[in-house]
Amino acid sequence: MSLEIKNLSVIYRDGSHSIQALEEVSLTLAPGTCLALVGESGSGKTTFGNACMGLLPSNAEREGEIILNGNRIDHLEESDLNEIRWKRISMVFQNGAVNMNPVYRVVDQVAEPLIQRGHLNRAGAMAMSSEALEQMGVEKEYHDRYPHQLSGGQIQRVLLVMALILDPEIIILDEPTSALDALSRTVVSDVIQAARSGNKSVLLITHDLEFAMRNSDTIAMLYLGQIMEALPAIDLLARPLHPYTMALGRSYPAMDTARDLGGIKGDAFYRLVHQHGHHDEDAYLHAHIQVPQSSHKDGHAPPTGCLFQNRCTQAVERCLTERVGLEVIGDHTVRCLRHGIANLLELKDVNKKYGKTFALDPVDFTIKCGEVFSLVGETGSGKTTLAMIAAGVLKPESGKRIFDGIDMDEWMERDYRSLSRRIGVIYQNPAESVSHRFSVFDTVAEPLKIHGLTGSKSEILELVKKVLGDVHLSTDPAFLGRYPHELNMGAIQRVCVARALVLNPSILIADEPTSSLDPSVQAKVLKLLLSIQIERGLSMLFVTHDIGLARKVSDRIGVLLAGRLVEVGPANLVLSEPLHPYARLLIDSVCGKSREPVRHKTDKTGPDACSFATRCTLARELCYKKAPLLNEKAYRRVACHFPLTAG
Amino acid sequence: MRIDFHQRIFRDTWFITGIVLALLFAIAIILGPPLVPFDPWDMSFVPISQPSATHILGTNDGGQDIFSELLYAVRNTAAFGLVCGLIALLIGAIVGVTAGWMGGLVDMILMRIADILLAIPAVMILILTAALFRPSPWVLALILSGMMWPTISKAIRAQTLTMKESLHVKAAAQIGAGNWYIIRRHLMPELFPLYLIGFAAKARMAMFMEASLAFLGLFDPARKSLGMMIAYAVKYYYMDIWWNWLMPPIVCLSLLIMTVTFLAISLEKVLDPRLKEALGS
Repeated sequence: MSLEIKNLSVIYRDGSHSIQALEEVSLTLAPGTCLALVGESGSGKTTFGNACMGLLPSNAEREGEIILNGNRIDHLEESDLNEIRWKRISMVFQNGAVNMNPVYRVVDQVAEPLIQRGHLNRAGAMAMSSEALEQMGVEKEYHDRYPHQLSGGQIQRVLLVMALILDPEIIILDEPTSALDALSRTVVSDVIQAARSGNKSVLLITHDLEFAMRNSDTIAMLYLGQIMEALPAIDLLARPLHPYTMALGRSYPAMDTARDLGGIKGDAFYRLVHQHGHHDEDAYLHAHIQVPQSSHKDGHAPPTGCLFQNRCTQAVERCLTERVGLEVIGDHTVRCLRHGIANLLELKDVNKKYGKTFALDPVDFTIKCGEVFSLVGETGSGKTTLAMIAAGVLKPESGKRIFDGIDMDEWMERDYRSLSRRIGVIYQNPAESVSHRFSVFDTVAEPLKIHGLTGSKSEILELVKKVLGDVHLSTDPAFLGRYPHELNMGAIQRVCVARALVLNPSILIADEPTSSLDPSVQAKVLKLLLSIQIERGLSMLFVTHDIGLARKVSDRIGVLLAGRLVEVGPANLVLSEPLHPYARLLIDSVCGKSREPVRHKTDKTGPDACSFATRCTLARELCYKKAPLLNEKAYRRVACHFPLTAG
Repeated sequence: MRIDFHQRIFRDTWFITGIVLALLFAIAIILGPPLVPFDPWDMSFVPISQPSATHILGTNDGGQDIFSELLYAVRNTAAFGLVCGLIALLIGAIVGVTAGWMGGLVDMILMRIADILLAIPAVMILILTAALFRPSPWVLALILSGMMWPTISKAIRAQTLTMKESLHVKAAAQIGAGNWYIIRRHLMPELFPLYLIGFAAKARMAMFMEASLAFLGLFDPARKSLGMMIAYAVKYYYMDIWWNWLMPPIVCLSLLIMTVTFLAISLEKVLDPRLKEALGS
């Protein structure tokens, strides 16, 4: 049994205004699978569920096809639809108890569809529903109660029983878990698993990412009525391809994500479609923007461009004008002009020598748009060197650096300033990274003056004040005239952050930005950095020796050992289940579980040995002979001959 | 520059002393010669007369008015010192910044030249040149400046090297600042104390050198100089005229040197916000 939805569009009419709830959504529910429809509230999830059931209100205008087992059901009469509803497609509505009749006992309500559609007599129906309720874990004593006498969990169970009682082929669950605690959720999980193994199809509508990930096969991300990405459930957090998927993943408080909650910058558009002007020639369809600071007059945006563009971390000029269709990339389907999350900075085989010693062996990694990438490692592992190469301050011996798709070295030669404008750098020691002869104003205004972007003094002052406000510093003239020695470290570092931000960079490179601050100031500066990263949709390269800190800020982590990356991957995976023994050691030493191991003496060490071999408890013959290369493994890249096993 | 600059500097005793002295000397130098009561070369007065209403400091053995002579001498000595200080500073700063900023071969060559000059005693060269060729004072000033810049340039080069490695210069370079911008905005202000110290030291040295050369009679005897006045006065030390003939040039020379020093110290203090804090004013 399958349900296929083709190009479903729904518009709610309301006087002269209308709201576009869905736009050309195509999805297929294959038998034995669960499809999760995920999105923020207002993205059209419930409308989609209701449309499948033919339950849209009368002011809804629908286009597109809904095909059940090869037969279109979208144009059926109400009486024919009634034959299909509950028997072949059933739905658990959201908000629990509101969907039940308060004056009937629950067992009567469960029996009702059996009597109406199942053509059973009353006694048989009652017996059957009683049995079904018990199977679902609602004890006998509750069967004769009224809905208000049951708990939220029990209500949800009753609703599930109601939906399942006629053994439909397609089950639509609308926010089945929103009122449930973690334990009660397992009931819903069990229902979904049972349906999947019974070769039925489940459409799970939810905003609970973790629940969707665990219980579905495919996840479709809905944003303002459009599918932004459809992807295999296991890829949701580890390998999203659309910025929206990544941002939602970061906003969700899953148990194994390390980073603090992120959120998505800005607010969604309102997709109000209406006609303007009294004359027909003025009238045009357009979408409303809810956010006050819209570039368009009166907060209107013409209906062009990507819907996510105002909140996207990688929007380019063309995103404002071009709206693209879905595109298949691997096993994902993505709607993005830039073919998924773009790489902002790619380092390919960069290396660096100081004299004759290699500070960096050929290293490559990428920083994606809108993510925080942390480099961790011992002191002397080449973290700062790598960060400065990424910032364009140091030049690598060889290798390629690509920024936003353009070769950095060529770009630097052609027009260094236009590149440096896009890279903000924060240094380790705030007191030394500002001149003690520069006042706060001079320091923050310096990039503006160097780039000569703004002419007048008042314009510069305005920009400086704005960015100082962004980093939560005072903007009054007395403060602007302060000198570094009159400020505390935290304030100086904020001034440095302001200086890095004043040119509106697309990436922040922070080299141990908090290591010279005390813990309370460190916490403040770090929170500030993260909130700025989210608000501005920046990418960030965060260099630190403190794994605890990296855990709090990173989306992805790279572990550096003696100038080589030994493990790169999503922060939660690397930190919870490191595959490289060195990463394990670093994490354990932070927890106090292990200390620096003694280097065991060996004469087996060859010139190309793994740099960790002499400290590694798992080292074998091969490790002393040949340094391992980075290999793809379990969503990350690891350079180890005998990696630890995940889990 | 700084809003409270004026307020702060006028509360500084070093500066006030220095500026009062400097003003007095400036008046003497600029307005003195045109207003002197007598032509200092006029030998028509009674020799070795005591101070009087007409001759404020009396007359010397040649019958010349000492006060008029003193004004011209102060002017010559001060000008010689200031010019030497300025030229030495200019060369020293250019060489120092260039060597420090560019580094490599340029640095090596410039610093070896400086080393060579440091090894040659300036006094000897000056005495020999003055004695053998009898050049004009300005040529001597140039030669002296040419010998004095190495110490300034070494200090400036060292500071330039430090600054070049400092994070705020690196930060500015990362932002996209050009060499010239960094030298102008980051390096020059940072070097300012060194200019002041260098200039003051060299100007002092040059004034003293001028006085010494004149004392030795190596300048044109017709050129008025504090050194020459002292040399002549010393010859008559047994007569009771030391306080009106010998003392004035000695006091003037000391005061000149002190003025330069005081101003250098006070300006340095005011222009360096950290130093100012430490010195507590």
